[in-house]
Amino acid sequence: MIKQLIILFYFLTGVLTPSISIALVIGSDQEEIYIDANFSGEELLVFGAFYSDPSQSRDSKSDILIEVVGPPEDVALRKKDSYFGFWLNSKSVTFRDVPGFYYLSSTSELTDEFLTNNQIGLLEREKSEMIDWSSLTTDWGSIINEKEKEEFYNALIRTKQNDNLYKQVSDEIEIIDGNLFRSYIDIPNTVPVGEYTVNLHLIIDNEVSQEYSYNFMVTRVGIEEAIYSFSKNYPFFYGLISLIIAIIIGWSGAEIFKRFRRI
Amino acid sequence: MSIYLPIAELSVNIFLLLSLGGVVGFLSGMFGLGGGFLMTPLLIFIGIPTNVAVATSANQIVASSISGTLGHWRQGLVDFKMGGVLLIGAFFGSILGVWIFSRLVAIGQIDTVISILYFALLTGIGLSMLIESSKVIRDRIRRKSVKRKIHYHNWAHRLPFKVRFYKSKLYISIIPPIIIGFVIGILSATMGIGGAFILIPAMIYFLGMPTSKVIGTSLFQIIFITALVTILHATTTFAVDAVLAFFLILSSVVGAQVGVLAANKLRGEEIRALLAIIVLGVATKIALDLLVEPNEIFNLSVIRLVF
Repeated sequence: MIKQLIILFYFLTGVLTPSISIALVIGSDQEEIYIDANFSGEELLVFGAFYSDPSQSRDSKSDILIEVVGPPEDVALRKKDSYFGFWLNSKSVTFRDVPGFYYLSSTSELTDEFLTNNQIGLLEREKSEMIDWSSLTTDWGSIINEKEKEEFYNALIRTKQNDNLYKQVSDEIEIIDGNLFRSYIDIPNTVPVGEYTVNLHLIIDNEVSQEYSYNFMVTRVGIEEAIYSFSKNYPFFYGLISLIIAIIIGWSGAEIFKRFRRI
Repeated sequence: MSIYLPIAELSVNIFLLLSLGGVVGFLSGMFGLGGGFLMTPLLIFIGIPTNVAVATSANQIVASSISGTLGHWRQGLVDFKMGGVLLIGAFFGSILGVWIFSRLVAIGQIDTVISILYFALLTGIGLSMLIESSKVIRDRIRRKSVKRKIHYHNWAHRLPFKVRFYKSKLYISIIPPIIIGFVIGILSATMGIGGAFILIPAMIYFLGMPTSKVIGTSLFQIIFITALVTILHATTTFAVDAVLAFFLILSSVVGAQVGVLAANKLRGEEIRALLAIIVLGVATKIALDLLVEPNEIFNLSVIRLVF
């Protein structure tokens, strides 16, 4: 079941600077996450090794950064306001092509400056230029005030964080033997289906020295997938079958218990 | 053990679902109610999206009302003609109801509207049950028997298009039952209820139907309204979750039968008072959710692409 994926990178910076000759070997335990009837979230394992010239000791300044970006989706963000004591939805903003899942993890805490320079990150408004909000098509509705827009940006990220769909951590990558790394990434049961990208960065002296990306899919399988696509493709028959099931169980339930009562 | 619901797109503990269906089924069997008025808000409480809760409840009520109708039908207590006339109104009402529902989903106000409707409905149900059961308990203590009028003559008898309903021994205009059906259709489609709680008093007081025929007839026509609502939701809001419905139906049908057995053994009024308190508790929770400032005033919903 588990498909191994090992990609070897030899990164030779050349004869002039042999001291930072480090390679990145990475792997992941799966290329696909299946959502089936028992799906209750999953842990994605990303692992690898810093591969250095055996004659050199691993530069302690090097860091690993793992980024997982989920498929884009359109979301409506609504704000509640109090009307005569009732909290009702009022203003609404539509964000298009927002990552459905975002995870950023590193071996040490990264500076905002680094993230800005390398266009990584999305969790804080201060760093928001990197996610390039301008590329998001946003339907602001009646909102024109900059401060209010910022409030909505922050709320978007906060609500995603509350649903465990956005996360930024700096202590989840395990380093073993100073040369191997391993990280379990929590994929909650509410993740959207689609293609996910894992970006790995090897950072040396605050510079991205190597990058590697690969994709994995989150797909519905089995009966869940069958039901879902049937409900979308043949909604009338889907409704009809739901009804027939209800009729059969309702009818036979009454019959069975009637007999049971007679005994 | 949890199960992933394909339409609600989340996983829920299977035992939670089964016990929810079982308890609601038990109460419905015990008191002869549909149970939709408790099922929908409880589903919302456990985290099922409002639209899925409403549409799936309708599907579940089809099963429970079939179970209930069979017994009444065998005893000849269903007025099919009256049921049919009510359904004419309910047909148009539920189409309008599903349209209103999908508009409310589109503008993001569905949760609020559902909360307010449920608060009103549950408060009404809870209070009337509480008052009635306390009255009965009091009367029982005073050893009084309650007398009831058998037949009402009111405006429903004076309108045109009069039709004879032999089973109910009525000769009334078809306009009031159509209007009643229409209103029930709207409520059924927007709230995921059968509407027996409103339908039964309306049939007794507005139409003057004999009490013995009322329950069977209302159950009979609820089968068809909720069946129609299920189809309409499946085709327009795509919110019927067949997996969720399956577990709720299974447990509620069993629960309902156990409830019927229990009803014969237990004294009804005290339990009715207890149910009234449960209903009022649910209403209070809904009201608090509307009135107390939420921790997070923003809420996010993914806009689904409809193929």
